[in-house]
Amino acid sequence: MAGTGSAHLRDDPNVLLRVEDLVVEFKAGRKGTVHAVSGVSFDVMDGETLGLVGESGCGKSTTAKAVIQIPAPTSGEVLYNGTDLAALKGEDMRRMRPEIQMIFQDPISSLNPRRKIRDVISEGLAVWGDAHGTWSQDRIEELMIAVGIDPKYGDRRPHQFSGGQCQRIGIARALALDPKVLICDEPVSALDVSVQAQVLNLLEDMKTRYGLTLLFISHDLSVVKNVSDRIIVMYLGKAAEIGDAEELYHRPRHPYTRALLASIPEPAPTVDVHEGDIAGELPSPINPPDGCRFNTRCPHADDICFTDEPIMTQVGDADHFVACHHPVDVTIRT
Amino acid sequence: MSEITIEAVPERSADPNAPLLEVTDYRVGFKTERGLAKAVDGVTFRLARGRTLGIVGESGSGKSVLNRSIMGLVVSSNQIEEGSITFDGTEIVDTDRQPFWGNRMSMIFQDPMTSLNPVMKVGKQIGEPLKLHLGMDKKQARERATELLTQVGIPEPTRRLDQYPHELSGGMRQRVMIAIALAGEPDFLVADEPTTALDVTVQKYILDLLGELQRDREMAMTLITHDLGVARGRTDDLLVMYGGRVMEQAPTEVLFSAMRHPYSEALLESIPTLDHPKHTRLNPIPGSPPDIVSPPPGCRFAPRCRYAQDRCATDLPELVSDGNHHYACFYPVGTEAGAEALQTNIERGQTAVGLRVSAEGRLG
Repeated sequence: MAGTGSAHLRDDPNVLLRVEDLVVEFKAGRKGTVHAVSGVSFDVMDGETLGLVGESGCGKSTTAKAVIQIPAPTSGEVLYNGTDLAALKGEDMRRMRPEIQMIFQDPISSLNPRRKIRDVISEGLAVWGDAHGTWSQDRIEELMIAVGIDPKYGDRRPHQFSGGQCQRIGIARALALDPKVLICDEPVSALDVSVQAQVLNLLEDMKTRYGLTLLFISHDLSVVKNVSDRIIVMYLGKAAEIGDAEELYHRPRHPYTRALLASIPEPAPTVDVHEGDIAGELPSPINPPDGCRFNTRCPHADDICFTDEPIMTQVGDADHFVACHHPVDVTIRT
Repeated sequence: MSEITIEAVPERSADPNAPLLEVTDYRVGFKTERGLAKAVDGVTFRLARGRTLGIVGESGSGKSVLNRSIMGLVVSSNQIEEGSITFDGTEIVDTDRQPFWGNRMSMIFQDPMTSLNPVMKVGKQIGEPLKLHLGMDKKQARERATELLTQVGIPEPTRRLDQYPHELSGGMRQRVMIAIALAGEPDFLVADEPTTALDVTVQKYILDLLGELQRDREMAMTLITHDLGVARGRTDDLLVMYGGRVMEQAPTEVLFSAMRHPYSEALLESIPTLDHPKHTRLNPIPGSPPDIVSPPPGCRFAPRCRYAQDRCATDLPELVSDGNHHYACFYPVGTEAGAEALQTNIERGQTAVGLRVSAEGRLG
């Protein structure tokens, strides 16, 4: 599952964000290098939601952070509306930041505990102003109402709110600057299921209301399926499979995607995948396997998987691409 | 370690068919400045050897306090414990439960990152209960620790013994926790959200492992989870808790095939599933869990329930039984009374407590 290649990139004028051959590496110790993201490409159309799914350590958060250049990727292009963000420096990059905002996994620790939530939400506006360079408390109240926080609580501090409410405040803060792209890094994994549903519905509402494009990261496959138009499955810094959300869950081709789907405990079992368990542990990203990175755990691996890296190729006529030498061709019952 | 002394471990009872754990009208309260917080408010269940009881509910439902109190881990002068728990024939409420720890009852915690001692090697942490409870010497404890690590599926166990927790991945650390908990071969294991912090593939491995070890040893287990998928696949019986009270209690298959309590239904309907088309609108439960210090009169769930009628806001429903299926609701799901209540709310456009109900019977 080492999947490089860019067959899945779309040549469409509506592509808002295009990431090509993204590589992020970190120094580890004196000699080692952590290969966190190795040659991932994807694109997101205006108004689309791209789901990024994979297990801990697969590089999904690193990918998202590289998009907003925190830190800047080791190599590769991040084209936002045709501008390469990786090439922007200083003030030019700063001017670009309001366009792409982010919400985080832990809603409570991502808010400054000592500040009133009104100030937390308005800080970006205080720096940037709105389109006319001005802003008023009305705008803050409008945002608070939009995310479902009563404006009369504006003077409270984060600890006086529940986790779900804090996530709403985080969303209001991200929306204050009228961004085009919202990156959601595991926004609901710290929340109870009942609250998770509230926040997911809110994100869909905000997407419609403010015309957002979402990059949605999660390890929960059911959540990703619910919010995404297109999904990219990552493993150990590589893209394994990309496709339309329905298609990908209906006909998963990559052995890793199938193993992931087979592992979900469902309260009302509807998906029938018998892939068998994947054995062993996730290899170290300091010393990733040659060939396909999934070869150490894949039930289908043979010689070619240990020598040649699979390239992303289209399967069938649908919007569905897989990086595997031996893609599985069995439709699962849904 | 030498300061801790373990008194004689209570003998195992002779009758293998008697329930191992019998909890009757059990209550746990905490004294606070505002009054008594009723964290667990009248819970009753029986758990036989080799069986798994799942306990489901949102944060603050009392599921963790219930289990920690059974273990005797919540020790505070502000805590009040009432009711009865018999463990293998011995009444244990208001007694020190430490003699049972290790080889009679044991626990695995949610967060494997913080539940291990970061400055003690893994081998020593596993060996500690072996020396303490089983009286092994250092060499025996190390040998047994290697066996335990092999059992829980850790590769290269002898090398791992000399590593510190930070050198292991999350899934590995949880396996070390399981090895420690099972070191004394307990009769009863509390698993408090054992896989919540883990990836799905690791979760499956850990739950399979627990199931296997449980079958081999006839161990009874309570599995606390907020994941209904885990609850359905891995438990024999289920207890649905809300605001410290039992809402519904039944064999797992019965509960899922004939769900009676609106809270259980609401929990199930709020989760996205794989067979929904993308962008399906979810059904959240509006509002937030109740204040357990001064809970609203009537049903604790009434303020968030789409079936709520006038009576729900004033009278507290008691558990009623339909064979081995118990539920605390005046207008249960799937009954005539429930259907009528929902119809009434749809017609007037709101519940008795003023929650908006749509024409499809959805809230909000």
